[in-house]
This record gives sequence, structure tokens and C-alpha cells, in this order.
Amino acid sequence: MTTVPVPVTEDATGFGEVRPSAPRPRRRRGRGGDAALFPPLRGLLPLVGLMAVWELTAPDHSPYFPPPSTWGEGLADLWRDGALLPAALATLGTFVVGLGVATALGALLGLLVGAVPGADKALGPTLEYARAMPPAAVVPLATLLIGYDGTMKVAVVTSAAVWPILLNTRAGVRQLDPVMLDMARSLRLSPVDRGRKVFLPALLPSIFLGVRVAAPVALVITLLVEILTQVRGLGALIALSQRNYQAARVYGLILVCGLLSLVTNAVVTALQTYLFPSRADG
Amino acid sequence: MGSARVLLRRVNGPGVLTMLVLLGLWEALIRFGAIDFQNLPAPSAVAARSVDLVLSGELAGNVVHTLRVTLIGWTAASAVGIALGVLLGLWRPAWRWSMASIEVLRAVPPVALVPVAVLLFGFSVRMELLLIVYAGAWPVLINTIDGVRHVRTELLDVATMLRLSKLAALRKIVLPAAMPAIAVGLRLALSLALVLAVVAEMVGNPRGVGNALIAAQQALQPEEMFAYVFTIGLLGIGLNAVFRSVAARALPTPAPVRRRGR
Repeated sequence: MTTVPVPVTEDATGFGEVRPSAPRPRRRRGRGGDAALFPPLRGLLPLVGLMAVWELTAPDHSPYFPPPSTWGEGLADLWRDGALLPAALATLGTFVVGLGVATALGALLGLLVGAVPGADKALGPTLEYARAMPPAAVVPLATLLIGYDGTMKVAVVTSAAVWPILLNTRAGVRQLDPVMLDMARSLRLSPVDRGRKVFLPALLPSIFLGVRVAAPVALVITLLVEILTQVRGLGALIALSQRNYQAARVYGLILVCGLLSLVTNAVVTALQTYLFPSRADG
Repeated sequence: MGSARVLLRRVNGPGVLTMLVLLGLWEALIRFGAIDFQNLPAPSAVAARSVDLVLSGELAGNVVHTLRVTLIGWTAASAVGIALGVLLGLWRPAWRWSMASIEVLRAVPPVALVPVAVLLFGFSVRMELLLIVYAGAWPVLINTIDGVRHVRTELLDVATMLRLSKLAALRKIVLPAAMPAIAVGLRLALSLALVLAVVAEMVGNPRGVGNALIAAQQALQPEEMFAYVFTIGLLGIGLNAVFRSVAARALPTPAPVRRRGR
């Protein structure tokens, strides 16, 4: 759904080719490497300018473009009503559980499709079709079959977030070292042991790469379900505020959603760097 | 004759079989009452309802509306994304002075803007189109910036050597070289455009397949709802397939796998 920060390869930093003999210190949070990945902060100026113009030109109680200074009041109102925190927690909860279920399911299916000969071909078209299905179309289905509740939200989020994880796991399975697989065979590991001791550790980085791509998708779909079904959460709050023409609240909530998406992305990326330092950049 | 045989060979037998088996299983479970969801229709009932919808022309009308809006919005998004992407990718000051703003704006999920769009433009096609253009422009923009910035230096040297004007170099060297990256953005934007069209129709614009889906849901007609869900899935997979075959034909060399900055 959203644009996703996919790991940038070495040469994309624009420094030319990499010399393995003289590796730059990669873990340092310094200016050098990150400068190319992170655009300079002065680039924020147009946004700041836009906000300033908005603030100065918009009438105070505009039903469409309330000035940015009123957004905070809108949020404060929601906070005093005791609506903001539960909604944010509900959204976050659905996001985490949905992503978790998607990870388990995606890893399992990816392993199946990647490792079992013929499974890819047999399941391919069905999975391809399910993947092409816009998540929005799944929402009425889920509400009809499950109802308007948290389970429904998690189911829809899972149905959308499972794909990047499945595809990355499948790709990971195909890149496994054949020697390692031979080793497992010659040690006569049982299928369960083979999964636990060989596949899982070797595949974790691939699975996590999928999780990183899936995380923004999961967040967007969480909001989408909430907007469409009014089941509690930030999305439902946005839709409700819009219906009551409380524009300041709507913009304030969108700001919160943007922050949430920045924070979750940063957390997932940091987790990846922490867990798999060698893979985080490439 | 020959082409028919090639086509036949490309059909994935086991894959189609699995699909049919799954559908058969679903049908059987409903028929024999093994599962008793009161709202889950059998595939045969869905198929019958689909035939009705096709014959009455209702389905076609909704599909045409959604497809038209999706494609118009996608075209506009592509134009905006490529134009801005070339500007930001090739002109460093523009990039330096605006990229951080773009990264921040990009973080806002487009879906969260649906209520705002309804607030501003009411229940209209304009609202639907604007959402599609807004959401679709981002991946094209990001991929275009990336593509034009990473054209191989040898190619740029060729442009210098041939003394091409800046415009000619852009048209003859830079854009073709960046095309594989741009195509990735275009494909992402196309599927996003369809998603946003469906969402906009579900929430606001009273036309198209998204609206028909909601109408069927509210009228408690699960057969019709499933018919539209399957149609939307077919639209998604169809658009993707058409794009792929056009891209494969239009791009001179097999596109190298470049997935940077989706």
C-alpha cells in the first residue's frame, strides 16, 4: 500500500564501488554513510513554508482547512474525552497481532511453497489470485463471516500483510546452502528437527526482511479496516470526526497516524539492524 | 495451431486443478452442511448470481467505471511522478531542498486521507480521482528519482561525447536507462490505484464495483457480494498481467531486478 523503504544496497549510496578490503565502519551513527540515505534536513523547509502559509491564510474555524495550530486543540479535546488513547492502543494492538499472525502464517506457507517440490506450482495461481485481491474488498467479506470485532480486523490485516513475508521466505528457502541441507540429511534429522534446527535459523533473516516490508502494509490496512467498519481505533475516530465535520480533529489524527507509521518503521528497522547486523544493509 | 499449443503448454495444470479442488471442497462443505455459516454462499450460487449480473449489464457498468477512473488516475499519477522525479533526480538543489519534506509527507498513509478527501470534495468522482493520483504518484516519484540518479556513468559519458543537448540526453539516454526502475514504480502505482478506487467507492463515490460491493453487503446479498469480490480480484490480477506484458514488450532488454526504494 505505501511506499516501503527497501534496504538500500551499497552502491546506491553513490560512493562508487565498495572495496571489501577497507570496510567503512558500518554501525556508526555518523554523518558519513547515513547522509546519503537520509536527505538533508533543510529539505523540510518547503513543508514548513506550506504549514506557515496555511496557518496565516486559513480562517480559524474553517470546516475544510483548519490552521495547523488548531490541530493540537482537536487532539487535546479527544484526549480529554478519553477517546484518543484507547483508539491508539486498539490500532496498535490490531497492528501487532495482525503482523504477528501474518509472520507465522507467511513463514509457514513460504516454507511449504519453497521447500516442497510441486507445491509452488500447485498453489501458485490460487495464491497469486489471493494476493491480487485489494484488501478493501476483503473487508465486507470478513465482516459478513466474522462480524464487527477485533478478530475481523486482525483477519483482514493478516490477509494483506502475509504476502511480503511469504514471498521473502520462499526466496530465502531457494537460496539456502545445499551443503547445509545435505548435512541435515546425512545427520538423519527428523522433519521437525530439520525445520527447527536448520530451516528456521537460516531463514530468520529472510523472514524478517519480509516483516519489514509487511509492517507498513499492516498499519495501513489496520487504518483502512477501521475507517470502513467503524470498529474502534484511530481510523474509526478519523471517520467519525469527519462525519461530524470536526476538521481539526481529522487533521490532528492524521498527524498521529503519520507519526505512528514513522515510529513503527523505525522500530522494525532498528530491530532488524539489532538482530541481523550483517543483513540490515544489503 | 502452433500458438494454441504454446498457450496450452503455458497453462499451469496442477495450479488450475488445485483451484478447482478448493472450489469443489467449498461447494461440498456447504452442500452437505458440514459448515454452517449462514452468510457463506456456495460457489455455484455465486456463479449463478454472477451470470445474472453479467447478463443484466450491471457488472459491466460498474467495472467500466472503476477501470476508467483507475486508469485515468494512474496516468495522471504517472505523469506527475515522472516529471517531478526527473526534476528531483537530476537537479541536486531541488532534491536537497525538498526531499526531507517528501519523506515526511510520504509517511502519512494515503488511506487516512480518505475521510479528508470526502470532507473536501464530497461524494464525487473528483474525490476518487484525486485520491488515486495522490497515492499513486509516490511510488512513481521515488522510483523515478532513484532511476535517473543511478544511470551508469558510461552512458552519461556517451551523451557528453555525442554533445547531446540536456533535453536530448534526457530523452535518449537517461529516461530509457531509468525505465526499468520507473516501471517498478508504475506497476506499484497501478495496483495502488485500483485499491484506492475501490476504497473511495466504498466510502464515498456512489458508483463502481466498490460501491456495488457495499450495496450488496447492506442488502444482505452474500452471493452478489462474493460475485463482486471475485470480480475485483480478477481486475487486480488482470491489470497486473496487462501491465507486465506491455512492459515486457516496451522495455528493450529484460528488466534487471531493481527494487530500490519502492
